[in-house]
Amino acid sequence: MENYTKYALKPAEQLRELLAQTDDIFVIACNKCFKEFTVLEEPELDAFLAVAKDMGKNVTGSARADFLCNKYIAQKKLPGLIPEGTKAVFVISCGLGIQTIADIVALPVFAASDSINYTGHHGMALTKKACDACAQCYLNITGGICPIVDCSKSLVNGQCGGAKDGKCEVSPDKDCAWEKIQQRLAAQGRLDELKAQAVQIRDYSKVSHKLVAEYVAKIRDLRFAGYYGGVHPSEHKEFSEGKELVTFPAPDIAVIPMAMHLGAPANPVVQVGDYVKVGQMIGEAAGFISAPVHASVSGKVIAIEDRPHANRGMCLSVVIENDGTDTLHESVVPHGTLEDLTPAEIIDIVKNAGIVGMGGAGFPTYVKLMPNKPIEYVLLNGCECEPYLTADHQLLLHYADDVIFGLRAMMKTVDAPKGVIVIEDNKHDAIKLMQEKVAAYDNIEVCVARTKYPQGAEKMLIKRVTGRMVPSGALPADVGCVVGNVSTTKAIADAIKTGMPLTSRITSVTGEYIKNPGNFLVRIGTPAASLVEYCGGITDETATVKAGGPMMGFVQNGLEAPIMKGSNGIIAINTDPSREVACIKCGRCVDVCPMELKPLWFAKYADTENWEGMKAQNVMDCMECRCCEYICSSKIPLVAKIKAGKNAVRGMK
Amino acid sequence: MLITELKSKEILDSLTQGKVFIINCHGCKEVSFPEKEAEEFEKALGDKVTGILTTDYVCNIDNLPLRLEKHAAAIEAADTVLVLSCGVGVQTVAEHLPGKRVCAACDTYALPGHQGVTPLEHECDQCGQCYLNITGGTCPITACSKSLVNGQCGGAKNGMCEVDPTMECGWERIMRKLKQVDRLDVLKCPIQLRQYNK
Repeated sequence: MENYTKYALKPAEQLRELLAQTDDIFVIACNKCFKEFTVLEEPELDAFLAVAKDMGKNVTGSARADFLCNKYIAQKKLPGLIPEGTKAVFVISCGLGIQTIADIVALPVFAASDSINYTGHHGMALTKKACDACAQCYLNITGGICPIVDCSKSLVNGQCGGAKDGKCEVSPDKDCAWEKIQQRLAAQGRLDELKAQAVQIRDYSKVSHKLVAEYVAKIRDLRFAGYYGGVHPSEHKEFSEGKELVTFPAPDIAVIPMAMHLGAPANPVVQVGDYVKVGQMIGEAAGFISAPVHASVSGKVIAIEDRPHANRGMCLSVVIENDGTDTLHESVVPHGTLEDLTPAEIIDIVKNAGIVGMGGAGFPTYVKLMPNKPIEYVLLNGCECEPYLTADHQLLLHYADDVIFGLRAMMKTVDAPKGVIVIEDNKHDAIKLMQEKVAAYDNIEVCVARTKYPQGAEKMLIKRVTGRMVPSGALPADVGCVVGNVSTTKAIADAIKTGMPLTSRITSVTGEYIKNPGNFLVRIGTPAASLVEYCGGITDETATVKAGGPMMGFVQNGLEAPIMKGSNGIIAINTDPSREVACIKCGRCVDVCPMELKPLWFAKYADTENWEGMKAQNVMDCMECRCCEYICSSKIPLVAKIKAGKNAVRGMK
Repeated sequence: MLITELKSKEILDSLTQGKVFIINCHGCKEVSFPEKEAEEFEKALGDKVTGILTTDYVCNIDNLPLRLEKHAAAIEAADTVLVLSCGVGVQTVAEHLPGKRVCAACDTYALPGHQGVTPLEHECDQCGQCYLNITGGTCPITACSKSLVNGQCGGAKNGMCEVDPTMECGWERIMRKLKQVDRLDVLKCPIQLRQYNK
């Protein structure tokens, strides 16, 4: 594998000259990028420190950094590290890291290293291929061999005439690029194409400062919008976006898992043979972080047993044979108006209705409504930043009033003066509708956020709207926020207005391999298979099926699992056959991690089961958004490794 | 760091005379891949297209064959394999399919910074003889249009470069920075020579 290490320590005599000019120095070394991740700590720092020590210089401190040129992170961490009294900073890195540090610190900055010269860019994998980014690709007329990089003279109109025995006259160990071009085109029968080409002129003005500066500004703006990192996967909302919401018929057999939330699974309170009604509690909460479960159809309980589950393998479930009468349970009665209800009453209603985060996480909502800090904002996540999914979009369009009602209930409960509904800018109709609807309320507004994944995550949403950072290990309430999903809010409205607990939801069935994608209002416990069948089935047997979106969804090996409280979609998408290869320290995972972590270390540490190392790199802050895995050029299954690390760290306590 | 722009319509038309198999590389999409333009262009080709593979990191030679496997028949049926990626991706595909007419549908541009998906505000040209010690940390190779290493050329007007008036004069920036850290006397160093053979 190639090694694109970009710097080497300056020779000792040069270092001595530099060191002679100053004293009381701080040293920063970059851990090098674009090389196989085998060495944890590069040797240059120790070598430099030895020279400084030999000269009797006072070193006030030293630090190692990954991707030192990442100014956002360097700026946050560095200034606190340099002790008072430091007179100069020495940097061991390529020119990018040195310039970055020179920007950040007010002290004189010295380069202790020289960059290593190489020609051309190499792409994102460590391959020998090079591209000089000339902005006028010649590969079409050369059979895919680059005359700029492969010819020593970068000739674009054929051979110079100096080649001997097929070797370049400038570097005799190099093949003549134009001979290679000639041979390839001859083999493809394309020599006439070459002869017919007009004379090529290289236009050096194509890469202007203005063009580059505009791209840099545009891309940086996009990447830092609202919060650090994140990714912009293809949205693919087109499959189900315009599909009118369909009320899916109640299933003949409903399979209702006892675990559809974070925390302890519910305990069944019915028995086989019992007759249950719609909205009747069939499982009771088994602790503080737990939630009750209700019947979504009326009929006879025919089994209480382990059944397939979308993310737990198997799970204890209550199986109900629908009698088709939809007989309502006596407990399903309206709870009165918002004005008449006290916060404590609303919390009870939400708790008893089994309402949990419907964006997928499944955290019991009533717990969020009992913050121990004063709350300024209730933020509603209507971003639906996961590609493909359009369930929340449909919900906003069809239940706008309920969403606002639920938001007002939450605001009343936590005594928040402001409510904000955040919608990404790819849902124009929903934005317009919600803006019209909230006009009647002084304390509620719609925030239109530029699309970026994972915007819907609590901490990202808070940063985007309020600019506040939730500290490591802290909760939204610590910065005065409560965050809910729009579907959850609608469930709160239902529970208050009609008394109906959480027994149905909107889900998208979509993806390039679903024959007729759509959006469905569906009872909890409906088998995923019947929804997919209704949509015409899956058109390619090699498709990857996931419960949820492509980023955070769970891969399904079949369609046996039922729709649950957090089931925002079923997707059938393309399968990427690629395999994991070694990490090349390209740094992309660090660029995209919205929690500002360094995922490459998680992969490294997981492979050696270094759980202490994982912990030290703040693995517990990871929310498993999968941005790192999405962007990984080596296709490393980072999330699985992170999950293993989190489990091990939890076990340490 | 590389980004891509779709070539002009005339060039694309000339490349797509027969049947075409298309490879879209989204590896650099985070940086900039002309996704919308590519989609429109591919739609307009209609039944000329034998197949489309949209993937990432085409330059990864370990995974490219695995990804092309499913599309073998479609590639076979095409006169041209059109690759929408940077020059590295096109060359990787061309080498993997030596008998095939492989063409580039994009031009590649360099943006500052080597790593990651976020372009940087600085550039390093890997000259192999770092000048940052005598310039207060501003690179004369990349910040000066002429890559001068011994001070201003004299052509700057109002602090802007004479080659590219949208760009600030690198040596004025260097002066400013050195003044700021009170190190102007480092410019009294010997004349610098750039060694291109480094």
